[in-house]
Amino acid sequence: MTKTSGEKALYRWTRDFHLCLGLFVSPFVIAFAVSVFFLNHAKVDPAASSSVVTIRDVTIPPGLDVARGREAADRARELVNQAGLTGEIGFVRYVRREQHVVIPVSKPGLEATVDVDLERRVAVVSRRPTGVLESVAYLHKMPGPHNADLRGNWFWIRMWRWLADGTVYLLLFISATGVYLWFAIKAERRIGMALLAAGGLCFAGFVYVLAA
Amino acid sequence: MSSPPDSKRPAGAVLETWNRRLHYYLGLYFLLFIWLFAFTGLLLNHPRWSLARIPNDSNPAYERTIDPPRGGTDLDRARDVMRQLGLAGEIDWPQASQATGRLDFNIASPKQATQVRVDLARQHVTVQQIDRSLGSGLRIMHTFTGWRYTSAGTSRDWIVTSVWVVAMDALAAGLLVMVIGSYYMWWRLKRMRTAGSVALAAGWASCALFVYGFGFGG
Repeated sequence: MTKTSGEKALYRWTRDFHLCLGLFVSPFVIAFAVSVFFLNHAKVDPAASSSVVTIRDVTIPPGLDVARGREAADRARELVNQAGLTGEIGFVRYVRREQHVVIPVSKPGLEATVDVDLERRVAVVSRRPTGVLESVAYLHKMPGPHNADLRGNWFWIRMWRWLADGTVYLLLFISATGVYLWFAIKAERRIGMALLAAGGLCFAGFVYVLAA
Repeated sequence: MSSPPDSKRPAGAVLETWNRRLHYYLGLYFLLFIWLFAFTGLLLNHPRWSLARIPNDSNPAYERTIDPPRGGTDLDRARDVMRQLGLAGEIDWPQASQATGRLDFNIASPKQATQVRVDLARQHVTVQQIDRSLGSGLRIMHTFTGWRYTSAGTSRDWIVTSVWVVAMDALAAGLLVMVIGSYYMWWRLKRMRTAGSVALAAGWASCALFVYGFGFGG
């Protein structure tokens, strides 16, 4: 059966979109794929290679000791700026008994903690530089399911959320168009079906054992 | 019309054919895995979506009397307790060290979270379980590795987790092969070189900006 010109045009356009959007998203796919090996097998000592700097006479933002959630992160940002840091602020911990506030800050390439003595107005900043693989793994996990109220308090993590979502949508588009492009090749249908079924069986086995 | 056998074709043409085949063979085999990680990745990125919520309502706790757990280490004893209770999953130790006369641990699997609290002197165990729905289980599969790269003491102790991790690694390796193969296929298409170069450069630039760009300063 011959294809109509409309079908041919659809095939050509689908193939070109599959190619161009696939090329655009490929670095993100590489980043997510490579970080899987890191997340599954690497070991990192979080206490190693930290530098510690003490900063005196920091200005304590008012209400830091009573603020919670996103408000605490926003107020802690003023202290983080004074420490010369940028990045996503994690769960801000107020230790009432010792009058300390502990602020975790992270971004690709860096994990840091700002420990502020509220009475003495002294901040101790511990920095741990992270390597490329750990940076990519960090992005893989961000913004993630935890601390939903807090996450995205740094502009670039909000941007990354958009890009990570975009990667998913593009991947779905590319996989769907890939199925269409494969199905158009009649000679490859049988073996393709067999592989699809084999993958489906394998997948169903995992779901049955792990989640069902 | 059938194409001639590979042995009679130039090596470049054979490579091209098999590279293209490998691209969609891998894509078809891993299709459901890719969709699983894509959909659950979205849910992980949007914890406020109603689909993303994982209920944490536990079943009523139950108690059992058990035989003294056998084994030379806490891990061996925990496994023996699990065998006696008919439980399976990845053992997760609480951060606090074990109190004298107790063996407290958690068991994680995508379909169930279990707290096991053993009073060794009384040979008495209290079990609290949270059953997960299929949807929650699928979401948990995304992150279920039995591994924390920042915790020195963690190791996988359930064979199912290890097999699942091999599957995740295989998917990651398959995606890398597909991407590298796609670069070759694109480069062989002269008509698409300019448009492809723009798309590829835009992708690499935006990805590199996040990986490297924001590491400077601070």
